[in-house]
Amino acid sequence: MSHEVMGYNAAMGLGLVEEMRADDSIFIMGQGVVTGGWFGMEKGLVSEFGTDRVLDCGIAEAFEAGLAAGAAIAGMKPVINMGFGDFALIAGDEIYHKLAKWRYMHGLDVPMTAVIIFPIGAMGGAGPEHSSCTEVLGMHFPGLKVVVPSTAEDAKGLMKSALREPNPVLFHSVQGLGWSRGEVPLDPDFIVPIGKAATRRAGSDLSIITYGSMVPRSLEAAERLASEGVDAEVIDLRSLVPLDWDCVLESVTRTHRAMVVHEAFRTAGPGAEIAAQIQERAFFDLEAPVLRLGAKDFPLCQSAELEQAAIPSVDTITGEARRLAAI
Amino acid sequence: MAAPEPALLTDMFHKMAVSRAIELLMLRHTREERFSGWWHPGEGQEAAPIGAAAALRSDDYLWYQGRGCAWAIGKGMDPLPILGDLLGKMNGATRGKGGGVPHWSDYGLGIMGEGATLGSVYPLAAGSALASKIRKDGRVSLADFGDGTASRGTFHETMMHAAAWKLPLIYFCENNGLLVGTRTEHVSASADIANLAKGYGIPGVIVDGQDAVAVYEVTVEAVARARAGEGPTLIEAKVTRKHGHYAGDPQHYRDPDYLKDYRDPLELLAARLSGNEAARLIEQADAEVAVAYEAAKAAPEPDASVIERDLYHVA
Repeated sequence: MSHEVMGYNAAMGLGLVEEMRADDSIFIMGQGVVTGGWFGMEKGLVSEFGTDRVLDCGIAEAFEAGLAAGAAIAGMKPVINMGFGDFALIAGDEIYHKLAKWRYMHGLDVPMTAVIIFPIGAMGGAGPEHSSCTEVLGMHFPGLKVVVPSTAEDAKGLMKSALREPNPVLFHSVQGLGWSRGEVPLDPDFIVPIGKAATRRAGSDLSIITYGSMVPRSLEAAERLASEGVDAEVIDLRSLVPLDWDCVLESVTRTHRAMVVHEAFRTAGPGAEIAAQIQERAFFDLEAPVLRLGAKDFPLCQSAELEQAAIPSVDTITGEARRLAAI
Repeated sequence: MAAPEPALLTDMFHKMAVSRAIELLMLRHTREERFSGWWHPGEGQEAAPIGAAAALRSDDYLWYQGRGCAWAIGKGMDPLPILGDLLGKMNGATRGKGGGVPHWSDYGLGIMGEGATLGSVYPLAAGSALASKIRKDGRVSLADFGDGTASRGTFHETMMHAAAWKLPLIYFCENNGLLVGTRTEHVSASADIANLAKGYGIPGVIVDGQDAVAVYEVTVEAVARARAGEGPTLIEAKVTRKHGHYAGDPQHYRDPDYLKDYRDPLELLAARLSGNEAARLIEQADAEVAVAYEAAKAAPEPDASVIERDLYHVA
């Protein structure tokens, strides 16, 4: 089947278009989606699907997320582009109560497909309220599925899976990778299953467990380490809920050393849970403590330079991996 | 105005009598038996739910607020799943997850549920209304709320969009003048929530919420408007909250004579029935509820496996 090189956001959009063609219960809503949206993934949707299924809305995130919950329970498949992951906090009740547990608390076992797109992370000076990595919230509140694609191929494949998933999915697109490009399968049957990690680089000395923007940085760090004689494995989790523990634990029991790298804040970030479970489940296979790398525990500065200085770089990942290998 | 046919009046009265019987039972049960949940009594406030629900089709979507049980009964639920839930039993509507605050739902009857973060149903009801608009299925969605939650941000966010999109949505406000213990006049310069409709360019209607027939008539009009694609209506039913916010509330915030103008909705509706029909229907309702109560009490308690049920749907 043929492939095409395309951008991360365009690939996400292609996944959406293919599913919208196949399923007329899918609609998309957000600010400016009729005109192509903030990051362009919705371009051309309105001319193909009309304004019944492509809806512009105001600055009203709680409304959008609550509407998604209500429409999904009523059998539609809403896609909401929230613009920024930070806005999850504006719609907290609607996302972490209503989308996550309306069915649970009512004892309603019905399908509920809803995709909330949260662009997350540093993108070059968007500031502390437009760059947050909010994916950990979806891990903490039961009832949601949480994905974070790191490649154009996964952006498409996970979007398609999310739209076939009978449960709400928080779809975190990575702002720092928005302009990255990659080969994307054009087969409309191609999907990336939710809950399956990908081993991006096989290695035998230590495991770097990462996702999102830190995948390309970890891979670059692994190449540097290779030149120093340290063979690092790099696992791209892709989904945080459910998390592919089989893949993580298989790797760690083989390499005996693990570190978790993410752009989210280090304290109580996803890495805290992942590191805790690794030591609980594979303690006697470990040669060293499980390390964590994340953003400094300060709001992200507006300055693009300071922004980069606050999140893990290839240098810091390489240095920390070196330290881990030496323990 | 569409006056209800005699058969509908009988049905409304029967449902109100069933609701009343459950309400009285729950007040007694809360007093006399160990009750782990919170019961928010709706006794004396049944007319608005019963009247409005009678104007809905069985496939219309209802998103209710959590006082009493008359919305669910009005929309067609049986007493047993309601009592089963209130008593926290496996035969409740939530199959073991209940225990006081109502989260009963019946998907087939369009009873979509209640949000216990009060006033949270506005955007959800807009969601089902948008679903109906896209599918052109002719269904109407009703969002029921109290005056207290008219101050919610989502009240505004939702109606601003719903009016612009002409969604088949009805905002139904039960205004009892109190939000938990705060007087509405302390937080709103206008005594009438219906005034807010003007800003959205939709009709705002005030109705006597103790009179089920009056509520039915204005809701029929709002439903017709919604089904015809003419968009939302805001109905404000002026009601009396006879009891505390919850059963056992000492109500320090009340005037001693707050019930001086109270009119009983069951008596108001009984006056429209002929002969001894009202007495017969009350007797019938009491018997039905007594049977359901015994069945609920006899039903099994949930075990811990209930905790791990219904989190995700498996295709």
